[in-house]
Amino acid sequence: MAEVKQAKASSKSQSTQPESRSIKLRLHLPAKLRNLELALLVFACGINGVAVVLVQLGALGKVNPEIIWMGGGLAVLAIGLHLVLRLVAPQADPFILPLATLLNGIGIAEIYRLDLASGASGWQAFSIRQIAWTAIAIAVSIGVVLVVKNHRVLQRYRYLAMLVGIVLLLLPMLPVIGQEQFGARLWIKLGFFSFQPGEIAKIALAVFFAGYLVEARDSLALVGKRILGMQLPRVRDFGPILLIWVAAMAVLIVQRDLGTSLLYFGLFLVMLYVATGRVGWIVFGLLLFVGGAVLASQFFSYVGARFHGWLDAFNSDVYDAVGGSYQLVQGLFGLANGGLIGTGLGQGRPSIVPLAESDYIVASLGEELGLAGLFAIFALYLLFVSRGIRIGIAGQDDFGRLLGMGLSFVIALQIFIVVGGVTRLIPLTGLTTPFLAAGGSSLVANWIIVALLLRLSDTVRHQPRLVVTP
Amino acid sequence: MSELTLLVLRFGFLAILWIFVFAVVYALRTDLFGARVRKVPAVTSAPPEISQPQKQKPLKREIATSENTNRLVITSGAKQGLEIPLGEEPLTIGRSADSGLIIRDDYTSTHHARLFLWGQDWAIQDLDSTNGTFLDETRVGVPTAVPLNTPVRIGTTTFELRR
Repeated sequence: MAEVKQAKASSKSQSTQPESRSIKLRLHLPAKLRNLELALLVFACGINGVAVVLVQLGALGKVNPEIIWMGGGLAVLAIGLHLVLRLVAPQADPFILPLATLLNGIGIAEIYRLDLASGASGWQAFSIRQIAWTAIAIAVSIGVVLVVKNHRVLQRYRYLAMLVGIVLLLLPMLPVIGQEQFGARLWIKLGFFSFQPGEIAKIALAVFFAGYLVEARDSLALVGKRILGMQLPRVRDFGPILLIWVAAMAVLIVQRDLGTSLLYFGLFLVMLYVATGRVGWIVFGLLLFVGGAVLASQFFSYVGARFHGWLDAFNSDVYDAVGGSYQLVQGLFGLANGGLIGTGLGQGRPSIVPLAESDYIVASLGEELGLAGLFAIFALYLLFVSRGIRIGIAGQDDFGRLLGMGLSFVIALQIFIVVGGVTRLIPLTGLTTPFLAAGGSSLVANWIIVALLLRLSDTVRHQPRLVVTP
Repeated sequence: MSELTLLVLRFGFLAILWIFVFAVVYALRTDLFGARVRKVPAVTSAPPEISQPQKQKPLKREIATSENTNRLVITSGAKQGLEIPLGEEPLTIGRSADSGLIIRDDYTSTHHARLFLWGQDWAIQDLDSTNGTFLDETRVGVPTAVPLNTPVRIGTTTFELRR
């Protein structure tokens, strides 16, 4: 069989002298993508190791190899995922895994730094638990890559995904296992094991929204009257958006969490917009949400308190009040202390802020790495999300497009809500920062998203565009 | 550990973070900024080959470029009327499952032909197929630029590139 090189591999030389060279065919693309991934992954693991060493030098003044060995274990797992990709998904996107690994590792280094400040050790230490959860999360991710051979299988289970998503959202409201922490009812506790099911729900809901919108997009996009240059949908097509709005408001009022409610509603709105291309939906949805949130802040004191603490944060009454703006303002002080280049890993005082290892990990990193470091982290997020959206755009089937878009947007929105809250751009909410913050459920959910995006990107490149059979 | 060493290490860490970011950006530069810049020399050396089909044909037709072409339309054969949107990426044609356009009939080879962007122009390349690829009923030997609305025949299937 003759051999022809792929266009991408040799576009330059081939386009200049197409016929003067011997034609070579490689039936399989070279493992170019995977080699690139391996190189970036080794780089990322190296940075993670350096980060932990710097934390120890800064905080302790000496190097303690124990935790580095544990970090090495994670590097082995990440490379394990890379090897699995080599075997089962050689065309998957090469950037997602190194980016996720680096963010995860920086998070572990900063959590470890906070443990050093609080003197926690063993299973009490957040960093040890975070390392264990990362191991579980990467293992789950490998499992997802192996089990979900084709993302279109998920489309079949869209209504099951809806059920799972709603049940997961409602679980924390159950009397015995539901648990209230820091004013929000988002956790379930089974014995010593606590979990935030809402994180997994975001994946289930993204699958459901994608599956539902593929079916319903035509009636949502094409039917309706034009008013003020916007195409308004028919009244009966408002059903789903109202349902999701009610669910979001229920989360806001019963679970007392503005962030989660904003996250799911925003995810639905954006997927609706991507599926239909109608700006009217976004405008209508935002009006609904803002209206609902403002009403809720009038009638429910804790929502009002959040708004008050946001708008009037530096008022000393608000600062001293229970559930006031102490955390927010301390976080801002920390960021200010970090300045442009930060105090250096292990040399700041990020532990003053309550929940510095989970909700406020961004402020902790901002203090120790400064604006320059924080922007590098945001650039990593930006690259991660842009790869996800790119996978969505390149998708050949509508379900895959919407799913890739939805999964990457949900991460982007979550980062916006968290960072916006910490920097006082929007009211503070209790969401986790993807990959960075201490929290097992969040890690598992985000690594599942990594696995799904890798799977999606592999099928995108493998899929025939059209099959002609006589 | 002296203050100075820590200061140097602090800057060093920020530097490697940014080097990682730029390494990723560099690796996906074609994706972010498009591949056009690298292909400029190709366009200047391409004209002799491109003008070849134009000279042979009495009818001078506009070459399909990445700007003026949006889709590939099947004009005859089993899937007549179907379209494939064309972007920047090459399209492989053949019977094998890893082709972009799979044609399963008795006349098509496993890896039959390839439609790719040659500089700015869409060109068809026959991959040493048994029964040949025909551009406007002329068998394609060397990679040839494809004019708009011109039939390309592979086995029993004919397609055209259209706006």
